[in-house]
Amino acid sequence: MAVADTPLQVAENPAADQDDAVPGGRRWRGQLGLWLPGGAIVLIVVACFLGPALLGLPKPVGGSVLESYLPAGSPGHLLGTDPNGNDILSRLLHGGRASLFIAATVNIVGLVVGGTLGALSGYAGGAVDTVIMRILDVLIAFPSLVLTLAVAQALGPSIRNTILALAFFSIPAVARVARSAVLRLRGQPFMAAAELCGTPAWRVLFKHLAPNIAPQLITFAMLGMGIVIIIEGALSFLGLGIPAPAPSWGNMVADGQLSLSATPMLVVWPSLALLLTVLSFNLLGENLRSRWSGR
Amino acid sequence: MTTAALPRVPGDRDPRVSPLRRVTGSPALRLVGKRLLMAIPIMLGVTILTFWVLSLIPGNAAQQLLGAEASPEDVAQLEEQLGLNESGVSRYLSWLGNALHGDLGNSLVSRQPVSEILADRLPVTGELVLLAFVVSLLLAIPVALLAAHKPNGLMDRISMMISTLGLSVANYVLALLLVLVFAVTLGWLPAIGYVPLSDGLWANLKTMILPSAAIGLPLFCFYTRFLRGDLVDQLQQEEYVTTARAKGVGSWQVLLRHAFRNSSFGLITVVGLNLGALIGGTVIIEQIFALPGVGQMLLQAINTRDFVVVQAAVVIFALVAVLANLVVDLMYAVLDPRIRYGSR
Repeated sequence: MAVADTPLQVAENPAADQDDAVPGGRRWRGQLGLWLPGGAIVLIVVACFLGPALLGLPKPVGGSVLESYLPAGSPGHLLGTDPNGNDILSRLLHGGRASLFIAATVNIVGLVVGGTLGALSGYAGGAVDTVIMRILDVLIAFPSLVLTLAVAQALGPSIRNTILALAFFSIPAVARVARSAVLRLRGQPFMAAAELCGTPAWRVLFKHLAPNIAPQLITFAMLGMGIVIIIEGALSFLGLGIPAPAPSWGNMVADGQLSLSATPMLVVWPSLALLLTVLSFNLLGENLRSRWSGR
Repeated sequence: MTTAALPRVPGDRDPRVSPLRRVTGSPALRLVGKRLLMAIPIMLGVTILTFWVLSLIPGNAAQQLLGAEASPEDVAQLEEQLGLNESGVSRYLSWLGNALHGDLGNSLVSRQPVSEILADRLPVTGELVLLAFVVSLLLAIPVALLAAHKPNGLMDRISMMISTLGLSVANYVLALLLVLVFAVTLGWLPAIGYVPLSDGLWANLKTMILPSAAIGLPLFCFYTRFLRGDLVDQLQQEEYVTTARAKGVGSWQVLLRHAFRNSSFGLITVVGLNLGALIGGTVIIEQIFALPGVGQMLLQAINTRDFVVVQAAVVIFALVAVLANLVVDLMYAVLDPRIRYGSR
């Protein structure tokens, strides 16, 4: 009935699903899709950065061998201890700090450098565009893991070098998104108006283009967070990310692999943490993307 | 009206155009030619970048081979023997010259020709990637069709939930999970190791099932989401779907014969683009399952500073990515008459 009464609305939005028949139904679901993963991310960030202090957890390193392999629920060790007698919960939260910090930094570097390169390339066109895009083509054709492995090997495993290695890989992807977004804006009246006013190129880029492509780039960065967390884990897993005694989800999974059959929980906890975090970022990114492409 | 007024389409069945001209002037072939030409600077860039990145890594194969206690004279002598003391540019140029003749050099560590090492290792990685692709596509296509048949139906929701979850799992986590369930707990399949195909198909497959599943399952999720989204778009927005429905064509017929045929283009592109990224992802899976493939070779070579082998692996990976894109273009040209006759 409701559909038949409002043919115009249906024609405007052919992708409308059943919930549109109920006023506010889609809105509520859409909000939930935004707030649930968003809330989970806030919770994870707070837990990782404030949790160890608030809960008075033991240090993530330097545990006593006498306390190794304690089962979950032992006094003072909610999730038990690892082979070195370190508290697993503490290692999880500290490992999360490293993962989140690295992922956030890599994405910010990717957004700033890649976004600028891509916007410049799309706006300037011509030779500038060709040169920038061909260089990025090479970076994309280059197997990213090889590059990150080589950089990690060259500079030694550390948080800073992991960021450096991963940023290489995030820049070309962001640049492509930024470029295509700018190309779509190039024909818009406000761009012509800015050019007719004699606005300098840098001002057009930062004042007129940047705010318009920011939503798309930030959405992309949300999906990028998940990817970077996974790749950082892979590097740490191979022993080329965060150096050994310090915890990271990747090296916790790798350490746990050695005693997989005896103590599978050593692998399960960091895996769950990885899954939950990446899933939240992916859901948030997907939700933002459908918002932007839907309108 | 004279014939000159008609737009001349290259490759058109014009009797005055010689058969040879018809082939060389075909837009599809020109497209492929253009792509091939574009691939050359990309491959050059990749190899130069590899040389440069590798030159940044401290320590070289000579030092690694002789150990930390070796005298500087011995190291210098071996460096000269291996040609490591020449400048980067001259080393690159001589490498390039040999590579163009099909000679990728000898491993600095084992002195074995790289082509021999690759002949041992490529089939392992090839089988892994092929199995992952076949399994993921065989699963993704029917699931996506079922999901798109009733958007927002039960099947759609379940498949979207599973694929969102699957896309958030790191492949190394998935690999360990599979080992935990199928090797440790159930004991059905071996946890690690590799049996060559020559020792029997089943024995070989038993060692390949878990690794290819670890690579294939996230791919399956990705393809399902992609194909389902594209199919729904086609069904809701395209006029030919409306036409077909108006003619009274059944919903499955519309989905299979009309929408899926068009959606398959997008799928082919995504599969092609994936191949490059995927082959890099085999590194960690081969490491976990102790498979003697190209990825494991690469990791070992980076650790021993065996740059000749690293360079070869990077060239192979980049070449696969570039060729995959080329094949995608070719398939487009074969499948889509608009491109075949250049009316785009």
